Amino acid sequence: MTLAEPVAAFEAARRRMLRRRRLEALIGTLLVSALLAVSFQRSEFFGADIGGDPLGRIADFLARMTPDLQANALLEGPRTRGSLAWWYYDLPLWLRAGWQTVEMALISTIIGAAIAVFAGFVTARNLLPLPWLRFVMRRLLEFIRTLPDLIVALILVSAFGAGPLAGVITLSLSTFASLGKLFAEVNEEVDERPLEALEAGGAGLLRKFRYGVLPQVLPNYASYTLLRLEGNVAMAAAMGIVGAGGIGVELQRAITYTEFDTYLAILLLIVGMIVLIDISSEWLRHRLMGLGGPK
Amino acid sequence: MTGSIVDQAAQVAPQALRSTLGAKLRKFLLIFAAAAAFVAMAIDLGIGPTSLWAGFGKLARFMRAMFPPSDGGEAPRIFLSLAETFAMAVAGTVIAAVAAVPLGVVSAKTVVRNSALHFALRRALDLFRGVPVLVWALILVAAFGLGPFGGVLALALADLPNLAKLYAEAMENCDEKPLDGLRAAGASPPIVLRYGLAPQVAPVMASQSLFYLEGNFRNAAVLGIVGAGGIGFELEERIRIFAFDEVAYIVLIYALCVAVLDTVSQHLRSRLA
Repeated sequence: MTLAEPVAAFEAARRRMLRRRRLEALIGTLLVSALLAVSFQRSEFFGADIGGDPLGRIADFLARMTPDLQANALLEGPRTRGSLAWWYYDLPLWLRAGWQTVEMALISTIIGAAIAVFAGFVTARNLLPLPWLRFVMRRLLEFIRTLPDLIVALILVSAFGAGPLAGVITLSLSTFASLGKLFAEVNEEVDERPLEALEAGGAGLLRKFRYGVLPQVLPNYASYTLLRLEGNVAMAAAMGIVGAGGIGVELQRAITYTEFDTYLAILLLIVGMIVLIDISSEWLRHRLMGLGGPK
Repeated sequence: MTGSIVDQAAQVAPQALRSTLGAKLRKFLLIFAAAAAFVAMAIDLGIGPTSLWAGFGKLARFMRAMFPPSDGGEAPRIFLSLAETFAMAVAGTVIAAVAAVPLGVVSAKTVVRNSALHFALRRALDLFRGVPVLVWALILVAAFGLGPFGGVLALALADLPNLAKLYAEAMENCDEKPLDGLRAAGASPPIVLRYGLAPQVAPVMASQSLFYLEGNFRNAAVLGIVGAGGIGFELEERIRIFAFDEVAYIVLIYALCVAVLDTVSQHLRSRLA
């Protein structure tokens, strides 16, 4: 009698809780499935007419991408069907275009990072006492970050003409916007004491930044910039597809001539290039952080 | 003794602030070499003042043409293709998220204790992580025809290696004790995964997938350039015919949508984490 009442109350409360939880789960599931249904319907994923049976199309596509290599002719010259040199028939040109892509990434990372240092200095809450400039710069960085890179590249290609210049400007802009934000965050987390000491010593704003902030933030800046460089190589490779120079132009050309095996060849080249840049940048970053390497 | 503390310090202890001649020379040579390499690369790419000047002149004209933004009487069509872009992003993310679960489980060190398989899978994922989505889209659209199908597949392919890696890391970082408990009680491997691992990693995985949804909404907007439907197609068309007032209209609406989606998704993610 004395025990039954609290137990019954507990059971009732538990049932209510369970019911509410089930209801929440049901509503959540319904919402998500409705979103999914509409999404797959609107994106025509299942209803797409991709020419007969989809699995056959995928198999056909993979077969067309695979180069027709012959084991016994693998090391023959470019004129023999089935040799590696025949598959990579335009290698010198592709390497040249690949190098152009790397150059685009390097130049735009340097330009973007240089402007981002200024932006990070202006946007950090603890350095420059000019709130209106900070506000304007923050909104500018945010706006550039919402613009899709390739749309910007498309507009710039119609202004500057086809070629690497449009790609370099696009990548510099997006590097500036993303690094500017990161640099500002780094700046806001510096140790304030050296700054106070410099201020007490009568140092001006620039000297405060040079001797108080830079020594603290430089390793972080370098690490973020190198990470961004890795991303920029991949982005620069995609830039060519809209005509903004580099290896992507060759990808676009391979597709226009429906040379799917050539596409795979260039794609593998791009993957190799990205991996190489990643490895060297990681090595540099680890050395900067003082991990591994001599000393 | 006028000037700031730094000037005074330089006079009292010059070696503390001024470097030696050799170090100075080395620094100068390094900076000079870097600058020379930069200029050489710029020349190699054909970037010069004349092309910059001409391009910026044109760009200024484009910018002037952007104001005032106008919908060109096609607002319904623009909104529909925005919805299509979002739908492509959701479909691509969901496919990638579902397909990445088995890959993540297999490449998590703590779940599958076969180091050869683990190593091979990790390296294979690493190789394709860098390939940009547009590069996938270009060939998939050529293979499967114009329309969103190739775009959705491209988004899924580009995300798959990234999500699989993140999932694997989430699984490796979870608490081992519930799994050990279940194993000790004699549970079979699927039961161990379901009741030991899933409750720990599901919120993390959901939050990572939401983050990729944000990215995919941005990526989906460019797929139209290669013919994969969505808002990118509308944008490309208008850029080609220099209808920059309509371009500005679409970009502004799109930027607003990105901001809304990011806010909603960040709110959801902060609740999950």
